[in-house]
Order: sequence, then C-alpha cells, then structure tokens
Amino acid sequence: MTEHIVSSYDDDLKEISDGVINMGDEVLGALNNIETLLKNNDHELAKKIIKNDLIINDLGQSVENKVFNILASRQPMAIDLRIVFSAVKISLYLERCGDMCKGISNRVLKGDLNEAQSPETISLLVNMCSMVHSNLGIVMEDYSKKECDNSVKVWKSDSEIDSLYSEILMDILNSIKTNPDATDALVPLLFIARYLERVGDQATNVAEETYFVVTGEDLEGLEKTEVENETTF
Amino acid sequence: MVDGTENDIKPNGNYSSDNNLLIDCKNVDVFYGDKQALYNVSLGINEKEVTSLIGPSGCGKSTFLRCLNRMNDVIDSCSISGNIKINGEDIYNPHIDVVELRSRIGMVFQKPNPFPKSVFDNVAYGPRLHGKITDKDEMHHKVEASLVRAGLWDEIKDRLNEPGTSLSGGQQQRLCIARAIAVDPEIILMDEPCSALDPIATAKIEELIDELKTNYTIVIVTHSMQQAARVSQRTAFFHLGNLIEVGDTENIFRSPENEQTEAYVTGRYG
Ligand SMILES: Nc1ncnc2c1ncn2[C@@H]1O[C@H](COP(=O)(O)OP(=O)(O)OP(=O)(O)O)[C@@H](O)[C@H]1O
Ligand SMILES: [Mg+2]
Repeated sequence: MTEHIVSSYDDDLKEISDGVINMGDEVLGALNNIETLLKNNDHELAKKIIKNDLIINDLGQSVENKVFNILASRQPMAIDLRIVFSAVKISLYLERCGDMCKGISNRVLKGDLNEAQSPETISLLVNMCSMVHSNLGIVMEDYSKKECDNSVKVWKSDSEIDSLYSEILMDILNSIKTNPDATDALVPLLFIARYLERVGDQATNVAEETYFVVTGEDLEGLEKTEVENETTF
Repeated sequence: MVDGTENDIKPNGNYSSDNNLLIDCKNVDVFYGDKQALYNVSLGINEKEVTSLIGPSGCGKSTFLRCLNRMNDVIDSCSISGNIKINGEDIYNPHIDVVELRSRIGMVFQKPNPFPKSVFDNVAYGPRLHGKITDKDEMHHKVEASLVRAGLWDEIKDRLNEPGTSLSGGQQQRLCIARAIAVDPEIILMDEPCSALDPIATAKIEELIDELKTNYTIVIVTHSMQQAARVSQRTAFFHLGNLIEVGDTENIFRSPENEQTEAYVTGRYG
C-alpha cells in the first residue's frame, strides 16, 4: 500500500504496530527467560520475569490508548481498520502470554521446581517452551512485515505443540504411577505445561489476526473450505 | 462481490441481476460534447435498499445519478448510450413520458433548493403538477404526511405559510426530501444531501434515510465514507468515469477487492 495523503496518519498507524511489535519482543524475551528458568530453577530470573510483565501490560495500555485516539480522530477504513482492530486483539493475546509467563514464574518462586526429580519431564517442558517461542517469533515476524505465509504454517502446526503437551501429561502421569512418592514434585509440572500450551494458543490467535490484516479474510473459513474440498475427493 | 450467475458478470466486473433488482444499467457511456464522463458502466440497484456512490470529485457520480431520471436530457451537450431499465422498462425508450418518469424518481440535491414559495406550496408542488391531488383536504393531508415522514412536521407545523427559504439549512434539506416523497416516488436520488449540514442535521437525514428505505429505493452520492458505511447496504466506487467496484457496503469498507478502492476509502488516493 502507498502512503496516506495525510502523512501523520501513517505515523499514527506505525506507532500502533510498533507498540504491538515491542510487546511481542518483550513476550519473546520472557519466554527465553522461562527456558533458562526451567533449566536452572533460577528464582532471581523468576522475579525479573514477574517485574517485566508490568512493562508488557504498560505497552498494551499504550497501544489501547493510541487505538482510541485513532478511532476517534481518523475513523480508519479497510486495511487501516483491520490494522487497528487487530492491534487491539493481538495486544490482548500478548498480554495474556505475559500473564502465563508470570504464572510460571510464580509457581517457580513457590518452589515448584525445588523437588523436581524428573529431568526428562523438565527437558520436555524446555522443548515445549522453545517450540512456543519459535512459533510466536514466527508470527510476530510476519506481523511486523505484514506477511502471513509463515503464520499460516504456524497455525496449521499448532497440533505439534498440542501433541507435545499430551506427551508431557502422559509422561507425568506415568511417572506418578511408577513412583507415587514423587506426586507432589510432579503435579506442579502439569501446571507449567498447561501455561505453555496456552501461550501456544495465543501464537495461533496472532497468526489468525495477521492473516486477517493482510488478506481481509478469515483463516478459519479458509481452512474449513479446504478441508471440505479434500473430503469430496 | 459478484451476485447471481456468470452471465451477470460485466466486462468491468460489476454485478447486476438480483431477485429484487429495480434499476438495471448496462454499458452506459456518457459524453459531454466529445468529452467522455462515463465509460461502459454496468450497475444494478436493488429495490428498497440504499446504494451509495463514492469516488473522487469529477469521477462521474452526479452524471450517473442524473442518467437515472433523465436529468442529463436538459444538458444540451450531453449524450448517453447504453441501456437503463427500471422495473424492466427502458427509460430511454422514445415513448417514455419523461415528466411521468421523474414523478416516480425524486431527487434531492447537495444544496437545499426550496422553491421561492411557502413551506406548504413547496411540498404541494409535485402532487399539483402531476395532477395527482386536487381535493384541498386531501392535499393538506398529503403535505402533513410528507412533512411527518421527512421528520420535519413537529418543528415547522406552525410555519407552513412562511417561505421555504426561511428555514434553517438542515430543515430546508428535509423540506426538499418531503417535496420529493410527496409524489410517492419509487426511487429517491440524493446527491450529497448532507454536505452542507451540521452533524445533528446530518444525523436526522440519515435517520430519515433508514426509515425511507422500507418503502423506497435510494441512491445516494456521498463524500463521507462513514456516511456510506452507515446508511447503505451496497456501495459502488467510481474512478475517472469507470465503475471500479461494487459490493456489499460492509465488504467495501472491511476488505475491498480492488486496490484503487482500498486506496480511496483509506485516504491514500492522490
Ligand atoms: N454540464 C456539464 N458539461 C460538461 N462537462 C460536465 C458537465 N457536468 C459534468 N461534467 C464533467 O463530467 C465529469 C464528471 O462530473 P460529475 O459532476 O458527474 O462528477 P462527480 O463525481 O459528481 O464529482 P463531484 O464529487 O465533484 O460532484 C467531470 O469531468 C465534469 O467536469
Ligand atoms: Mg457531483
């Protein structure tokens, strides 16, 4: 798209997208820290992640304020409306990711990893975290470039995270069965897995929004028709 | 964006033919002298719906609107070819009674243009001209009903004998709408009816348009995207005499198919 006749309109829109991109960077940083946190049970890092969540929330608030102003002053249409509308949604998704990271950190501070006797499970969680990080990184990269091809791939591959999640659940349940004494140490890991799974969901939500911004269409609708076509063959 | 069957797709990608198609324009060219103002425009307009025409200044919106009630006939240099049917009837057929045609198609202009007559006579003008009403009581009833429909009655029922020109701009515009609907038209054409009005008067006209569309087919030219989005069900975008895109208003403002449309509705045209 070319530029607006009123160039300050472009500046306003860019500020909104930049705000969302900054939020994404903060969340990706938090996920990076979570990975380290899981490996090292580092309580100082947990505190840092919790503190950083405030920054993510502030960034979200600032995106929201800018959206308010642009809606009132410019009444965006078409692509601009899609950009503005999805900025609100994506910033909410990212805020939620921040909350999940904070949730994991809080659990770690409560000592959930102190007695963990299952390095295999921890390493599955680390894998899951790095997958979620990678997915969110890809969709945010697409968002910043106003592209959506890779987001579609992420959207379609979300089931990989879901199956890793199931694998972790099974792993934990089996460990509990074979070693009931470890139950107290293992159950908290279930919660951490659940948090990570939900961050993964947010990445697919962001993918849907980016697809909508770029194409004006719903990713859901697209998938359904494709599946229907396949079944008629 | 294309309705109906394949056969309805026009060379420039427009639609026509719907169950409730009222006005069917096919391949309309308009010239002023040797200067072409409209190029092969094919556009269908549905009954009891509001259709907005949008596009940059000079793109031919008013020209197109004037084709629909043969107002271009009064411009000497203007020539029209193509086909325009209303209810299946070719309105450029030589046997058509143009006065009768215009009684079926009311028009409201950008600048309110009440006749230099009383409020009452402004509204009674059409029914008198077309000989529709001769009885005095019936005429009173008609004037009142039209002013009520135009949302003006309560404000000016004590001023019926004052000149129409003594009303405020917004009231004058609603007076012109009352005048247009007094002859029970099927179609109302509005050329930027709110461009001279404040937000309150504009809101009243838009409220009126919402009400009128249950009985009338409305075609409105507007420079306000938001107004088009608010009042119309379908929107047609013109550019340099071409109809670029027509579709459900919601789609035009959410994700238009054509890049020129997107550039225009987002303020990138220029
Ligand atoms: N009476 C006329 N004689 C000669 N040319 C005319 C006449 N009326 C319109 N035109 C030309 O036809 C083209 C389309 O004009 P038209 O008034 O239909 O545009 P418009 O889309 O209504 O513009 P605006 O938004 O400014 O009202 C313009 O180039 C205009 O100069
Ligand atoms: Mg005009």
